[in-house]
Amino acid sequence: MKDRWEHLVGLLGLALFGFGTWHGLVVAPPDIYMGDVQRIMYVHVPTAWAALLTLTFAFFVAIGWLVRGTWRWDALQEASIEVGVVLGALLIAQGSIWARPTWGVWWDWDPRLTTSAVLVLAFAGILALRSFVDDPRRRATWTAVAAIVAYVDVPIVYFSVRWWRSLHQVQSSPDTVDKPMVLALRINAFALLFLATWLVARRYRLARARNRAELADMEAA
Amino acid sequence: MTGMIQGGWEFVQAAYGVSIATLAIYAISMELRLRKEKP
Repeated sequence: MKDRWEHLVGLLGLALFGFGTWHGLVVAPPDIYMGDVQRIMYVHVPTAWAALLTLTFAFFVAIGWLVRGTWRWDALQEASIEVGVVLGALLIAQGSIWARPTWGVWWDWDPRLTTSAVLVLAFAGILALRSFVDDPRRRATWTAVAAIVAYVDVPIVYFSVRWWRSLHQVQSSPDTVDKPMVLALRINAFALLFLATWLVARRYRLARARNRAELADMEAA
Repeated sequence: MTGMIQGGWEFVQAAYGVSIATLAIYAISMELRLRKEKP
């Protein structure tokens, strides 16, 4: 089976996510200020990393399409943008659930939250744009150009907590976090990375199948 | 008073619940869409 490695990556991600979640919810101690609410970090931060990595991958495959122009690159950009949008939307939902007990509000127009929302909306807009363009080559090129432009927001999201005095806390480092907390965070970081890889690989297969069918229809017409 | 937020497990459960549900629904939708595309 050609897709066996994909399912192995997915299963590994699932197993790690189960272990990391157990570690984060049961083994890791509560935070000195945020108490048990801080346990949301073990799923929120890995989701953020996976979302930003997936969109970074989308940026590189967009360049790949512009340079090489083969359909595999377009299928990869469609796959990585969709998975990035799903993870980005999930990230915002988790952040909102975190914000309510810690900040007292579900949402704040803080630089980190605002730039994250802009990022998700920009890439969701690219997916919407794709559905309006009939010519597959033009669709792929417009997607690539728009993805490269939208990607400018990724470093802004990452550095927003350092550049502006943000309500959102700055990135933690393993030196400042208790060891059981670091372990839960690392396990779930790999879990989300493997799950994102599996989702991109499956979505790529779907995009390729649709692309082949579309090109065959065009040739037949 | 310790300054620590008390309770909050319902928010933890909500965050993990939303995460698991989102990933599961997206993965299932993907497999269903893939199955539909296969000849």
